[in-house]
Amino acid sequence: MDYDLSRIDYTICGITYPDTLKILPPSGQKMDQKFAVGDKNGVLQCLSIKDEEPVVQFKTLPGKPITSVHLACAMGTQADKIFTASGNEVKGYTRKGKVFLSIETALTETITSMCIIGSDLILCSGRTVTYYRDLREYNSYVCDDRVLDIAAFANTRIRLLVLVANKGAVLLENGKLISRTVISSGPSRLAVPPSTHVTDIVAFYGAGDGSIGLISYEDLTLSSKCLVDGRGLGSVVCLGWYFSNGNHHLSVGRHDGSIQLYLMDMEHFGEKPRLKYTYFCGEPVTSVTGGCVGTEESELLVATFSGRIFALRSSHLVTGAKVPHDILTARRAKLEVEVARLEKQTANEREKYQRNTRSLNAGLSTPPLLDIQYELLGALSDGWQEVRITSAVPLDMLFIYCNKKLEMQTDTAAVLSICSSKETGSDLLASVRCQAGTRRVWVKMRDTSDSSAESKFEGKRVLIYALPVGAPRVARLVILKLPALPYYSGHEASEKDFEIPDRVWCQLEIVGSFSVAEMTSWLTEALPGELPRPASIVSFTRSHTLLETVLICQYQRGSATFKSDNVSTIATIRNIVSNCSVEKSIRVEISCEIPDSCCLNSFKNLESKFKTEYQKKKDIILKKAISMLDLDSSMNEEGPLLCQDYARVWDSRDSINETQFDELVETVVQWYADWRTLSVHENYNNETSKLRTALTECRLDDVYKIFSSNSSSLKS
Amino acid sequence: MQLSTVQPVFKLELNHKVTPDVVTIAKYDGTHPCLTASAGFDKIIIHHPHGGIASGRAQRSQAHGEVSELNLSQAIIALAAGPLRPDTGRDMLLIGSPTQILAYDVHENTDLFFKEAPDGVNVIITGFFGKYTETLAIIGGNSSVQAIDWEGNEVFWNVVSGKVCALITFDFDKDGENELLIGCDDSFIRVLKNNQFIAEIAETGPILCLSPVNEVRFAYGLANGTIGIYEEGIRLWRVKSKQNALALQWSGETLACCWSNGRVDWREGTTGIVLRRIQMRANAAAMLLADYRSVGAPDLVCVSDRGEVLGYPPYQENTGFNTASKNMPSEEDRLAITELFNQKQALMVELQHYEANAASGSVESLERPTSAMPTNTRLQVAILHTADEGNIQLAVSTNNETIVRAALVLAEGIFENGETLVRHPQPSQLRSLLHVPLKPPRDVPVDVHIKALIGYPDSEQFHIFELTKQLPRFAMYQLINKEIRNKGNSYVTFRITERVQRICIWINQNFLLEEELDLETEETKELHINLLCLRDRSFLCMDFGPDGQVKISTHDIRLAGDLIQSLAVYLNLSDLQSVAQFPEAENKLREEMEHVSQIGEMRSRLAAETAERAQLITALLPAAQDAAAYDLKEMLNRYKEVVMLNEELLTGCYIRRSTQEQAVIALKSLHTILQQAVRLRVGKYGKAVVAASRKAVQDNNIEALIKIIQVGDSTMK
Repeated sequence: MDYDLSRIDYTICGITYPDTLKILPPSGQKMDQKFAVGDKNGVLQCLSIKDEEPVVQFKTLPGKPITSVHLACAMGTQADKIFTASGNEVKGYTRKGKVFLSIETALTETITSMCIIGSDLILCSGRTVTYYRDLREYNSYVCDDRVLDIAAFANTRIRLLVLVANKGAVLLENGKLISRTVISSGPSRLAVPPSTHVTDIVAFYGAGDGSIGLISYEDLTLSSKCLVDGRGLGSVVCLGWYFSNGNHHLSVGRHDGSIQLYLMDMEHFGEKPRLKYTYFCGEPVTSVTGGCVGTEESELLVATFSGRIFALRSSHLVTGAKVPHDILTARRAKLEVEVARLEKQTANEREKYQRNTRSLNAGLSTPPLLDIQYELLGALSDGWQEVRITSAVPLDMLFIYCNKKLEMQTDTAAVLSICSSKETGSDLLASVRCQAGTRRVWVKMRDTSDSSAESKFEGKRVLIYALPVGAPRVARLVILKLPALPYYSGHEASEKDFEIPDRVWCQLEIVGSFSVAEMTSWLTEALPGELPRPASIVSFTRSHTLLETVLICQYQRGSATFKSDNVSTIATIRNIVSNCSVEKSIRVEISCEIPDSCCLNSFKNLESKFKTEYQKKKDIILKKAISMLDLDSSMNEEGPLLCQDYARVWDSRDSINETQFDELVETVVQWYADWRTLSVHENYNNETSKLRTALTECRLDDVYKIFSSNSSSLKS
Repeated sequence: MQLSTVQPVFKLELNHKVTPDVVTIAKYDGTHPCLTASAGFDKIIIHHPHGGIASGRAQRSQAHGEVSELNLSQAIIALAAGPLRPDTGRDMLLIGSPTQILAYDVHENTDLFFKEAPDGVNVIITGFFGKYTETLAIIGGNSSVQAIDWEGNEVFWNVVSGKVCALITFDFDKDGENELLIGCDDSFIRVLKNNQFIAEIAETGPILCLSPVNEVRFAYGLANGTIGIYEEGIRLWRVKSKQNALALQWSGETLACCWSNGRVDWREGTTGIVLRRIQMRANAAAMLLADYRSVGAPDLVCVSDRGEVLGYPPYQENTGFNTASKNMPSEEDRLAITELFNQKQALMVELQHYEANAASGSVESLERPTSAMPTNTRLQVAILHTADEGNIQLAVSTNNETIVRAALVLAEGIFENGETLVRHPQPSQLRSLLHVPLKPPRDVPVDVHIKALIGYPDSEQFHIFELTKQLPRFAMYQLINKEIRNKGNSYVTFRITERVQRICIWINQNFLLEEELDLETEETKELHINLLCLRDRSFLCMDFGPDGQVKISTHDIRLAGDLIQSLAVYLNLSDLQSVAQFPEAENKLREEMEHVSQIGEMRSRLAAETAERAQLITALLPAAQDAAAYDLKEMLNRYKEVVMLNEELLTGCYIRRSTQEQAVIALKSLHTILQQAVRLRVGKYGKAVVAASRKAVQDNNIEALIKIIQVGDSTMK
């Protein structure tokens, strides 16, 4: 940690969306800069800071939530025009707060990001990137999935770098795709280096898994490179630039509330950034950007989800006491008075509210919904699905209900307890009590191990009630759907990459009078994460995070095809589709094509993984036994005397903790069972138990024998 | 709060593992403190930085120059030290193994005494209390406490219901004499004075540690992670953590608390606010107060289970926050401003809530918003008896068409797992009335907090209603009107001189009645009430006769005791003798006594066998080694014999272990019955029961014991 920055609170506003705080360039001779921030209430305010006290330059009236703020300029001048997007509207303000532009576009979805170059306006909403020239639609491009962020590179030609959810990045020119790249870490934000040569197309990205990387376009190909691993860090919400001591720093704001400064080498973008500073503010950070706001020296300006706006300023500036002490005291006193006034007002209102409960003529109390954001992530190889809940007010507890039993985990800052419910049945009730001041909490859930054997017909509905600590005394209900196939969270580029000979495909064909939207909603029961928006033909590929099997989905109105090298996946989708179609009373015809060698081939692909997991399982047993011996290598110099094999286990005792061996065995047995049910209808209990013992003892020859004997007996 | 960077004033490594909670610090030579700890199963290590220790049984450790090792052949359960011998100022080391106590003079290398402890040993402390002026060793067993003087003579003995987990001597009633505070695993803190229990504090979990704070306060820690401070018997504060508190110490006007994961925090005495916090590198083993640096004031000595020892001086204001002292006044203002913004933000959110509320009141929209609720909704809670299901029920209801989506009931000590009970009805069963069953397992008053989520079935946001209800002590007994005859001939009778009107008030306060019990006239002299116990559907009859004669008929001796104790506290009785007839308890007592004596016999027989085999092995082993020199076959045979004997020894060990477990259980239930017999009496009569039954148990006199249960004394009549 090289830098020492300390926090100075400026002001508060409403809930903010990512990247809605921008610092305006300095005007004229003055060094100090103003900044503009738009919030969920639709208020855009432009502020300057004088002696740590915010001075409002202008402030708009509330309206639709502002989802994007951008600065731009007419050609050649400074970028001091403020553009805001809310809903499908775009407004332009001068730095004095005068509206000079207001257009309502024909877009159906909320504008999530925008770019302005000269008189060209580029808007992203949903999956489309729309290009307006002189406020008239010029061209548009529809991406495969949601557009997350955009950067424009204006040279002789205008080229757009677009981040597409679950796919990666694409480069557009004139409404045409010119290059694309797949980035598996799930990039969500772009930051264009401030001083590039105009011809270069290069940008840094921050990703959902916390990593930071570089996208560049060279020799007519778009390529990406990961620079900082995301290991353990929260997902990136916003990026910004911070310039100090002659160096450029990339500032990163994350969902877990941390802010980092990385020193970047502006000559060689591919060099590893060096971490210089970390600050933790306790709630998701929505904007981080540097500028000379409060003093003549640069500082980092931060906006958080709940609307706190504060600066991180070099400590020598803070303690140097440039600001007269009495001004600070005055500021504090002013705030104290304001809080006291608010307290009184709140008490009055509370009283009025209480009185209402005793009145005879009942009105209807409709408090606004609590500002709670939540996100359900797909399972990684360990099968846990994580729900992240972010609240604008501190949470007291979460109360979780599910109609099926689940395994659960939670944050270290919270206590999870499974409550006793009256019915001893199959439902789950749990409470998560949070530490004081908790605004974000995660809960991980996964199926209990015994439920994997039973066939799945639908996803699980999880109800989460979020109870805040103080007022308002309301609990927000969040309904989640845990998909039946949580492991299929890996997004793959296209099916073409998987046309490799060693995969044997099982295929499921569904024909019936269903629409694309209906099929999409059925698939939400099965697959985690967001599905592509309905289009005339939808096609996407997902991969299993543990088994590395693949599912290729392709559907259009009236027909759908699913291909997978995992027979159980096909069986589950078949069950779900038939179940859902019966519920909706839509007639569908389902046909499966299951090759006889599917189990055999799938197991061949799994073999090496199976063996390592088996070894791991054995190691864990050994580790337990060795640790019971009460050896402590720190006690004597040469350490415990163990044979090589044991010593290896003992040395790596901290790294081997969990094995997925049992899950793998269950999976393979399930493959077999599904294969039998889908292709032959006969009793197979005996074979199954044989297979299970062969698997648990890792007698692979026997496993192969069972698989191959059955496929051959069927042929004869 | 972030971890404080406060540095320890001293730091050392013992290079030995340390068993948590089996650590003490003693001055074996009268001046220099030595850290003494159990390092593994049967090894004691003594750290003596201030110079050597007289060579004796203790051997110099190879792992650390200043540490001596002492090997015992028994597991070490507890360690304590204190100046037991009145003639010297030196501390004696007390070593508790599962069934024995050894007092050892480390300095002189002599044994002071060696004593069998049939009740087991859980904790040992040294101290003086009551009228005993010399330092005693006080031992907490599985359901008893006893005190031993320096020659190994038993000074007193008493039964406690439940395993004793923590002991301190503390002047509870401020009379200048120490009382003994006993923390048990049945969630009670009991105060023993003059060999009778003068107070009983119900807590919410097994008590793990107790620590005196000052003249009027003491701190406690529970197995469910709660710590807190009592002042004159009233709880000042408590906080709960995920970890268990291992030790609590009062150091420098703050309560230092050491958690089992190695975290240590200093808390403000009156509020429990954390002032600073550190984290050790390994799990904690102990935290003690000792002047380990010889500077004249005790430091906080924290020991981790890896053998790391850290010393912290008493907490001082200016070293509390590492930055607070060098903070500029302007920095303080900035922190205050951040905090003020927090408050402002919270208030704004609340205000917004009310404003939207007022705004929507006027607008009549056709569609109901997903967060709507009539403004005059109220929540009502009643408690009912449901005899059919054997429990009591909280009926939570609203006064209009809104529904109770979910109810969370928070109460401590009445649910099997955790402290929350939740009801979340199926969508088809959503009503404006919700029943929540409660089944308090023991008769103590409980505060029940209810959080109910109220709204419409399709709401996306629900209103939280909160209520607190107090369940009276005997909530699980339902008043029944019909005349009943108790089949069993179990009862207790005693005589009180109190107007029946006051009894009536006691009943109203302690029982859950649908309507208050009223006497017909002022002149009424007698009262008969019949109750049904919802737990086991047995009957409880209480007859208060006109002559002051009281008869409580129930088959449950524990319940009778609870009623008498509660009544005695309410009527402020100092002494009460009673006559009891509980055939069930008497039979059980007979069985247990028989059981205990059988087990005792078996134990000694097994011990003899084991010793014999062990001796044989020690003889055979060198023989086998010798045989290796001349005859390999012979050697193999002999080794085979050794292996066989070894296996026999192991089986013997298992048997011994299980008999030990049985013995502990039998003793515990025996003590429980005796404790219940004590609770049928109050004051000096209770004490007499203790003394008499101790003697009867030692003499193995069953008939005398039964007599004691019946009349409170074995010698009477």
